[in-house]
Amino acid sequence: MKRHWRLVTRYFAQYAKVRLAYKADFIIAFFSSMAATVLGFGFALVLFTKIPRLQDWTFDEVMFLYGFSLIPLGFFNVVSWNLYDFSELYIIEGRFDRVLLRPVSTLFQVVFEKFRLESLQEVVTGALVVGICARRMRLEFGLGDLFWFVVTVACGAAIYMAVFLILTAVSFWFEDRVGIVPPVFNMLNFGRYPLTIYNVFIQFMLSWIIPFGFATFYPTTHFLGRSAFTLYFHLIPVVTAGFTVLAIVVWNRGVANYSSTGT
Amino acid sequence: MPQADIAHSATGAAPSQSPWKFLRLHFEFARVGFVNTLAYRLRYYTGIVTYFIYVSVYYFIWKAIYEHSVSIEGFDFAHLLTYIGVGWIIRSLYFNNIDQDLAYQVIEGRLAMDLIKPVNIQFMYVARAAGEAVFRLALLTIPTGVVLFLVYPLRPPASWGNAAAFLVSVGFSFLIVAAINFAVGTFALRLQSILGLLRAKFFLLELFSGLLLPMTFFPHAVQKILDLMPFQYISYIPMLIYLGKLHGGGLARAMSIQVFWVAVLMAIGDGLWRWSTGKLIIQGG
Repeated sequence: MKRHWRLVTRYFAQYAKVRLAYKADFIIAFFSSMAATVLGFGFALVLFTKIPRLQDWTFDEVMFLYGFSLIPLGFFNVVSWNLYDFSELYIIEGRFDRVLLRPVSTLFQVVFEKFRLESLQEVVTGALVVGICARRMRLEFGLGDLFWFVVTVACGAAIYMAVFLILTAVSFWFEDRVGIVPPVFNMLNFGRYPLTIYNVFIQFMLSWIIPFGFATFYPTTHFLGRSAFTLYFHLIPVVTAGFTVLAIVVWNRGVANYSSTGT
Repeated sequence: MPQADIAHSATGAAPSQSPWKFLRLHFEFARVGFVNTLAYRLRYYTGIVTYFIYVSVYYFIWKAIYEHSVSIEGFDFAHLLTYIGVGWIIRSLYFNNIDQDLAYQVIEGRLAMDLIKPVNIQFMYVARAAGEAVFRLALLTIPTGVVLFLVYPLRPPASWGNAAAFLVSVGFSFLIVAAINFAVGTFALRLQSILGLLRAKFFLLELFSGLLLPMTFFPHAVQKILDLMPFQYISYIPMLIYLGKLHGGGLARAMSIQVFWVAVLMAIGDGLWRWSTGKLIIQGG
């Protein structure tokens, strides 16, 4: 454990050195990405100038949900970079051979070899929006809520990680020429609005097949005091644990199945 | 880093070219764009799914909204659904990656290859993107259209005349987007990495082109400002034509403004290109 922690800091130091070579570049990337994230709110902002509520969700509640969804996503995106290009970089170019030679878990190496620190802008933006909405709604945030906030953000990030790890691991069996990651990535959009507006099929899918609902919607229902979803809220850690274990199993199977391209 | 000292020869297209030669040359660029995309054809299958997901998300949002009202800002649910659905279908056609291509040319140090070509760079990129668009039309736009028309109750164009004007108008949309992307892409030459900027532009276009919701939904003051900008001529105007909300003089005027913006934006792109290549460092090469 201690060794792994030291390795993370080393990996990070390495990344930071590369990144700080172009300081201005990093700052530009951070703020222009943040502008992009803020523009993402534009649709809901404009829409609510015309309608009082979306089903029975008020403007503040919808914004709270949207803002909350960005926080686990931002944390996930800090380490997700390698997953997008995994098949290209590690399998086709054969970099995975190098990973296998080292006496540390393969998963650990792939996840922490690369960072994308500017994604923290999503965490910052999301937290700001959540804070503003909570204030406007006069939500009471006790110590217990704070605890749950941290836990559900961590669970959300873990759920994203698990889903995309499973998709990434698929490339151990066959080269992903079709690109199954982008459509699933776009499903994140579903999680940004109240699950109740969708039909039963999509609600089921977002809960039990690609459980983005447990990363965004179910946590927010707790903070917004909507007791109809209490059961789902309590299932968050269970679902997270389940999908994490599944992802690790699939990944390890994939590694066992890996054969080098020889390049 | 080797410094490329290249004069402006790159920007000035050979002026004495005959129009026939010009067309043949750019047809060739379009062909290259088409063939390059061919290598990634499998990716377009998931593109259809992606577009389907986008439209579905907005379908459910709008359905929830229209539970309480029959008409908002002159759009009933069927109209609005068509506006959104067909809006995304044409987006799959006018969308292009000129900005990203330029950025990667700079990052990978291949830009010098563009600079030595004795043609107008902007026309070359637009021609290539047009070749890609033909490809998208067959593998993405039409299949996406078929799927969306089957799944959601989208309406046909208001009339044959509107349909024809709509198609021409989408052609102008393509040129406007291409010109904006080229202009934004030229910033890659001065700023080393512009991927964040491109992301911001992406969301800006989504919102202000009218892709996500009609311009009439914006507050009046904002509408006034957006009227003076080219963005709504990308999606909002073609969709008004499709729905039959623009005809006669209004239609002619809207389409002339589209042409106006194509010309202005291309001139801006040309100017920015000259300015950017004035002082240029090629990375690595």
